[in-house]
Amino acid sequence: MDINKLINKLHPLERKVLPVLDKSEELKDISKKAGLKEVEAMRALQWLSNKEILKIKEDIKEVAELGKNGKEYLEKGMPEKRFLDVIKDKAKDEDKIKEKLNKQEYGACIGILKKNSTIAISKEKGKLKFKATPAVKFFLENLKKTEEFLKKDFPVELNKLSTEERKILEELKKRKDIIEVDIKKSKRIELTDIGKRILKKGIKGKVEDKLTSEMLKKGSWKNKKFRGYDVSINVPVKFGGKKQHYRRFLDEVRNKFISLGFIEMDGPIVESDFWDMDVLYMPQFHSARDIHEAYYVKDPEFSDISKKILDNVKKAHENGFDTGSKGWGYKFDPLRTKRNLLRTQGTACSARMLASDELKIPAKYFAITRCFRYDVIDATHLPDFNQVEGIVVEEGLNIKHLFGLLQMFARKFADTEEIKLVPGYFPFTEPSVELFAKHPELGWIELGGAGIFRPEVTKPLGINVPVIAWGLGIDRIAMFKLGLKDIRDLFSHNLDVLRKTKVNI
Amino acid sequence: MPTISFQNKDLCDLVGKNIPIKELAELLEYGKGELESYDEENDEVTVSFGDTNLPYLWSVEGVARLIKGLIGKQKGIPKLDIFKKSEHRLIVDKSVKNVRPYIAAFAAKGKKVDDKFIKQIIDLQEKFCDSYGRRRKKTAIGVYNYKKIKFPIHYKATKPESIKFVPLEYKKEMTQQEILEDHPTGKEYAWILEGMPKYPILVDANDEVLSFPPIINSNYSGKIDIGDEDLFFEATGEDLDSVLLAANIFAQAFYERGFKIESVTVEYPDKKNDKITTPFLFDETVKVSLSQIRDLLGLKLDEKKIKKLLEKMQFDYNKGTVKIPNYRRDIMHPVDVIEDIAIAYGYSNIDMEYMKSYTVGKTFPIVNFVDKVRELMTGLCYQEVMSAILSNKEVLFKKMNVKEFSLIELKEYMSKRYAVVRNWLMPGLMDVLSKNKSVEYPQKIFEEGLITAKKDKEAKDYHRIAAVSAHEGADYTEARQAIDFILRGFDIDYKVMDVEHDSFIKGRVGRVIVDGKKVAYVGEINPKVLSNFDLTVPVCGFELNLTELFSAIQ
Repeated sequence: MDINKLINKLHPLERKVLPVLDKSEELKDISKKAGLKEVEAMRALQWLSNKEILKIKEDIKEVAELGKNGKEYLEKGMPEKRFLDVIKDKAKDEDKIKEKLNKQEYGACIGILKKNSTIAISKEKGKLKFKATPAVKFFLENLKKTEEFLKKDFPVELNKLSTEERKILEELKKRKDIIEVDIKKSKRIELTDIGKRILKKGIKGKVEDKLTSEMLKKGSWKNKKFRGYDVSINVPVKFGGKKQHYRRFLDEVRNKFISLGFIEMDGPIVESDFWDMDVLYMPQFHSARDIHEAYYVKDPEFSDISKKILDNVKKAHENGFDTGSKGWGYKFDPLRTKRNLLRTQGTACSARMLASDELKIPAKYFAITRCFRYDVIDATHLPDFNQVEGIVVEEGLNIKHLFGLLQMFARKFADTEEIKLVPGYFPFTEPSVELFAKHPELGWIELGGAGIFRPEVTKPLGINVPVIAWGLGIDRIAMFKLGLKDIRDLFSHNLDVLRKTKVNI
Repeated sequence: MPTISFQNKDLCDLVGKNIPIKELAELLEYGKGELESYDEENDEVTVSFGDTNLPYLWSVEGVARLIKGLIGKQKGIPKLDIFKKSEHRLIVDKSVKNVRPYIAAFAAKGKKVDDKFIKQIIDLQEKFCDSYGRRRKKTAIGVYNYKKIKFPIHYKATKPESIKFVPLEYKKEMTQQEILEDHPTGKEYAWILEGMPKYPILVDANDEVLSFPPIINSNYSGKIDIGDEDLFFEATGEDLDSVLLAANIFAQAFYERGFKIESVTVEYPDKKNDKITTPFLFDETVKVSLSQIRDLLGLKLDEKKIKKLLEKMQFDYNKGTVKIPNYRRDIMHPVDVIEDIAIAYGYSNIDMEYMKSYTVGKTFPIVNFVDKVRELMTGLCYQEVMSAILSNKEVLFKKMNVKEFSLIELKEYMSKRYAVVRNWLMPGLMDVLSKNKSVEYPQKIFEEGLITAKKDKEAKDYHRIAAVSAHEGADYTEARQAIDFILRGFDIDYKVMDVEHDSFIKGRVGRVIVDGKKVAYVGEINPKVLSNFDLTVPVCGFELNLTELFSAIQ
């Protein structure tokens, strides 16, 4: 233990307290001598104790203190003395005594005085009359001791009283509010060896607590010594501004896609049936739409759709357009397709991109979209969730490239090489595949789905090259990454949680 | 997603081979099925199917058929012998034309039914009618005791009160109207016939009611008991293709159970359809070329291999022509068959490749802009939050002490809390503050995100950012300093004008203007709003339209 280092780190309060410790060991005494408030002295002692410079020992003491009446009797004298003073020379009736004593004292005194045979009581005209007996002298001598006792420097420790004093105390305790006995805990300070060595060495010289601009301006810092701090102790927690954990995760997802050569796409939250489903070859009256239960919009109820594309899509549904497909074979409703709803799937953005003049071939696209599903809210479902979807457009793409893409996604977004590709079903892709990745604890986890767009999707939009379409369940991936079990925690509104949420490395 | 249950022993009996559960799970993947659970005690397997277009798989017979192909027990299209029976006439009256026009039927004979079979048939019927049949609207199915029926059968539509019969598992006679009003099944499906002047009915040559499609069978002939041998099947619906498919799928399943299948001739009143013998042999084919296969799968397969793979998936193949089994109508395009080739080949046997071309990634300029704004906000020690886009009028307007404006409402919603699309962000932040009253102050939070507003009769999305600061000293100056930090950070000139906004204290709210565009409100929140959110600390804040701002500074 480096004594000098310890001395250097002493706080100003500690510096005041330490020198008085070789003479005092009680808090009251210490604070008085050190010129500190008791709380300040206590704080300093606690710090010193943490540094093992001293030990704080706790003593349990029985302490007697004067009660309300005790303090009064100290001034006025004991009531029995005052009683006897009245009848010292001549017998007196009760009225005379009651002038000097209150009702309670009067009653108590009669008991005590009778017991000690110091008074004779008679009755005259319905009133009591008291007369002193010769035993008074002896009684008063004894009472002096009691009065002496009251003059002691209270509070006093019981174990410091003589046997006689103890007896008096016991008697007084029986009476009302004269003496109160309490159990008091008090602290006693004991220097450790380190403490003794520090005192021996002496706390010399002045140390500065704060570096001030004054010192810097004058250059006076050069001659000063600065107090060292205990840098290992905890400091109060402070919360700065932080990005939201899920939003940060999505930022990272975006950056990864951009680094992989993907261009971001977007689309409106209020989408038409057409772009959300019909263009994706989801038949208007098919059970496949059961999985997309949608929020339809009151107003604006309908969207405008370009007639040419609408006609092509209508034909694709009805008879396959010129794709070589037989189509769904039902009558397509051109009004129903214009209805507005809240986007149910990010694939709507992919469809818009395929129809857009901005489409580049070859290119890779992605979109991080908020989607909506008519669903009950629980640990795995929110009405409002995020999807990451996209397309890859290039001449000559086939299922091998689709699989290669998915493997890359698993590596990039789930940090795993171990994947499983299982036949899947999406109304707009054929072939379709589901991507599973092996999670070290949870086993096979579905990461997303993908496929190659059906010709019934691409051709009506004028696209004649293969288009890989893919989607990742980004909410679920985020939950694994952020260690959350409840999807609602992705959007937590608990400020305490938000402040304390770890920043993922 | 259709989910079915069956006993594994039943499956193994039908396949003719013991299938361990683990192997079953893998085999199901070929049919886009997933093993949900296996209850060992009752030997019960539960399977869900992802593809809603493959109803022929939704029974133990269907699963057994799939597996027989996969393990090589059977190649190509499974056999189905149909005995023509010209005396099985089913006459369709023109009265059903605008009610429920189509029907298909067959007879299945010579096999005693047991409880397992009855359960399976009811299961398949329910799944089929619920999912593929659009809750019986598109297609509904009935199975009857053949021996109680006298041909020809008549399918017609009659007035709701004109015919009385005892519905299945009931004791008293009811009219069709009474069934829809009082019978539990009738009430459940009454919506299908809503507004129809006449209801469909199926009666035999003796005028005995078979059923009231698509609602309920009669108790007389529409009840199957253990030990019955000969059955009659019918499917009715709005769509001819679907009812024919239903009959084909069930005929195949009954056949595989050991029944002898006899056809029924359906006689339509119009010339177009005239007579259709059901089960109907679509005998569909699709042409698939080697180059199409190579293009989509990147696999160089020869014809022999292709034939083998297709036969595994229970198609027939001959010189570029693929014959589709009559229980399937999901093949619309050669790609559907090519996917089956890939599945038969095994996804795990297909090599992975990467794209050849180099592409450059990028995002939208405004995305980079909003990210920088967010970064500045965190620099001011504001904690970012993220909320649902769906909200409600109570929070958006009532609690904010403002009248409703440019709101996108939903026709229907599940929860009152999520009933409209948010059109500003600050109410959401106030809501967050109100949920965190026990958390240490000062509380400074912000959210950046999309809001949607009705503008010129259209829904438009805007990027916005809102921030609030809640603590004893929160005031206009603080909020103004925050937005000033943002705007000055981008070196944007702005003006602040007096404005009235009831969410803020009168005289302590400003409208921020950049290049003539109104881009933000900034101010101290009205105590009335604070008390609406049950808050007891002052709050100041701002809401900034980033889409507008970005376009103003471009």
